[in-house]
Amino acid sequence: MTQTSTLLSVRDLSVHFRLRRGPKDSRNVRAVDGVTFEIAKGQTLGIAGESGSGKSTVARSLVQITRPTGGTIYLDGSDVTSLKGRRLKEFRRRMQMVFQDPYDSLDPRMSVRDAIGEALSVSGLPGPRHDETVEELLRRVNLPASLARRYPGQLSGGQRQRVSIARALAVNPKIIICDEAVAALDVSIRAQVLNLLKDIQHDTGVAYLFISHDLSTLRFMADQVAIMYVGRVVEYGTSDEVFSRPLHPYTKALIAAVPSVTTRGRTRLKLSGEPPDPGNPPSGCPFHPRCPEAVDQCRLTRPELGTTDEGQSVACHVVLSRHGRDATRQVSP
Amino acid sequence: MSLVEPMPETDAVVVVDSLSVTFPSDEGVAEVVRGVSFSVGKGQRIGLVGESGSGKSLTARAIMQLIPSPGSVSAGEIRIAGNSAALSTANAPQWRGTTVAMITQDPLSSLNPLVRIGVQITEMLRHHLNYTRTQARARAVELLSAVGIPNPPRTLRQFPSVLSGGMRQRVALAIAISCNPSLLIADEPTTALDVTIQAQVLDLLEEMSATHHSAVLLISHDLGVVANFCDEILVMYAGRIVESGPTDQLIEDPQHPYTTALLTSVPSMTEALPERLVSIAGSPPVGGVAVKGCAFAPRCALAQPRCFEDEPALRQLDVSARRVACHAAGNATWPSRFQGPS
Ligand SMILES: Nc1ncnc2c1ncn2[C@@H]1O[C@H](COP(=O)(O)OP(=O)(O)O)[C@@H](O)[C@H]1O
Ligand SMILES: Nc1ncnc2c1ncn2[C@@H]1O[C@H](COP(=O)(O)OP(=O)(O)O)[C@@H](O)[C@H]1O
Ligand code: SF4
Ligand code: SF4
Ligand SMILES: [Mg+2]
Ligand SMILES: [Mg+2]
Repeated sequence: MTQTSTLLSVRDLSVHFRLRRGPKDSRNVRAVDGVTFEIAKGQTLGIAGESGSGKSTVARSLVQITRPTGGTIYLDGSDVTSLKGRRLKEFRRRMQMVFQDPYDSLDPRMSVRDAIGEALSVSGLPGPRHDETVEELLRRVNLPASLARRYPGQLSGGQRQRVSIARALAVNPKIIICDEAVAALDVSIRAQVLNLLKDIQHDTGVAYLFISHDLSTLRFMADQVAIMYVGRVVEYGTSDEVFSRPLHPYTKALIAAVPSVTTRGRTRLKLSGEPPDPGNPPSGCPFHPRCPEAVDQCRLTRPELGTTDEGQSVACHVVLSRHGRDATRQVSP
Repeated sequence: MSLVEPMPETDAVVVVDSLSVTFPSDEGVAEVVRGVSFSVGKGQRIGLVGESGSGKSLTARAIMQLIPSPGSVSAGEIRIAGNSAALSTANAPQWRGTTVAMITQDPLSSLNPLVRIGVQITEMLRHHLNYTRTQARARAVELLSAVGIPNPPRTLRQFPSVLSGGMRQRVALAIAISCNPSLLIADEPTTALDVTIQAQVLDLLEEMSATHHSAVLLISHDLGVVANFCDEILVMYAGRIVESGPTDQLIEDPQHPYTTALLTSVPSMTEALPERLVSIAGSPPVGGVAVKGCAFAPRCALAQPRCFEDEPALRQLDVSARRVACHAAGNATWPSRFQGPS
């Protein structure tokens, strides 16, 4: 990936929460802990991992709903880690977010026209030109212009999600973060929205950070994939590499667990246990209590992300000693 | 009206015969389940798939005689093995939970949040199987350890809300299976869970249903889930069964255009991916709104003028165990292009 094509660069991002349960009991929850990745212009990075692994916290800290406690975020080469006031507003024009529940971005008391119009005002488009642009945006997401007068409650789930996407597009963002944006949709509607997101990317060159617990959706959408476990990236590579040749034991188990129609009836690698509490993670490699390949070292020291001979980045002692070069951070700023 | 599959009724644990469920609506009545017929044989695993609103949960609730008011079963009947024909609601509680048991997507709704888990299991055992307090407690510990609860005595003292979603579903399964039901209905049991936990729960469902000789009706919106679990699949669309058959046949050679579309809408995990998914246009009709002709016609790439007029009956396809409700199925001369209403 050449330097010039990098749009978003995230370095060592951390979001730690202080969790107070009583006057003497307060713990540090490392919801996101030293996450590094890059997204090139017009590309899609997919993030997967079990619930609680920190995916939404990454998303929320990028759009600054939650403040990062460590690390740096660069957008188009400039540091956007902790912006305020006018610069934050200007930044939000370049990075938009679409949530799982459209009500997180749509006010139920605002008509579709007003919801999109509000976003247009933010982008500085004069009022008289709104109607025309709203219509254009609705057409862009394959909705009839007549929908502009309706309220979110009068739309189907798929229509509401298209309106959220239209609203995000209104400001001409460089990147849209989709956090489980299609998770609530039925499969036939989900396929329509995924095709739509791809068409939009093709036409406008927008980049996506696409978060999904559904691996088959991610395989379809993403150019690069990051797999998270308890706040950290454990495997990172191109979608082709990660899906056709997963190396980290967690990635392998996650992919094997997908109940696919084409692989039905095959015996699969089973992952026992549940993800740990990020407020009280296991020692060493946090995956060791569930890992079928764990060795003694895994209980003692935490593996850092290192690059394998195949070019993927993996945080695993066993994989790195088998395939690896050394365990140093490879991505340069 | 469609025929029940040719299975000797003596082998069936449940026969659903021409079931319809209606709700009062602004336009009169909304028929949200329409003429659904199928039977579940001893120890069989049947899957019911379809998009949300297609009538899956109401079909399950009709079997349990738990249709929420003001809805009602407006036609058809449900026959449960070992129980007299048309069951009245009055005697439902006697077989509910013992002959037929159900788990749902959110175990918090089937478990009482205010009652300790131990009390909920032992009450079931004492009431239905006449266990003594000591027997019931011992059996409860056994059941919880069978479903993989790490520390059963501690869990017995806990309330459902302190458990993770996966652990809660294990407890719900332990309770459901405790009286050896001949049919276990599982309505989206893994929809709220991560894939890894889903795989654990489905394994457990398989194991428990085998040891307790229970048939399973697994309801899911995910064709992948039922294809991996069930011997036979029923596909529902807009309140009707539109296709049914043995899993391998239905997956490898779908006959209804909706089944085909469900299969192509989900990106494969192993095969080369297309640039765009083959999706279905439009969205399913709003529950219970009467449509003329085939309910799928407005979205169907194969629709012909006839499809907007006559509703296709669910018919048996040649000699196989397949049933399909589509004019085009098995019709070699059917045009392959959409023609719309005449
Ligand atoms: N505001 C907060 N305060 C305390 N803990 C939080 C907060 N937000 C998230 N967490 C914790 O951070 C972890 C990661 O959460 P999240 O990012 O939502 O995961 P995911 O989206 O992968 O399911 C979880 O354990 C969650 O409980
Ligand atoms: N309590 C109710 N009142 C009115 N309509 C209902 C009620 N419950 C379900 N319905 C209607 O019945 C249809 C089928 O519902 P359901 O069986 O829950 O679908 P599924 O489980 O397939 O998602 C839905 O379209 C819904 O509109
Ligand atoms: S470091 Fe050890 S425990 Fe962690 S994933 Fe690798 S083998 Fe498993
Ligand atoms: S009956 Fe006609 S519209 Fe309905 S599924 Fe078959 S071809 Fe399509
Ligand atoms: Mg999340
Ligand atoms: Mg349902």
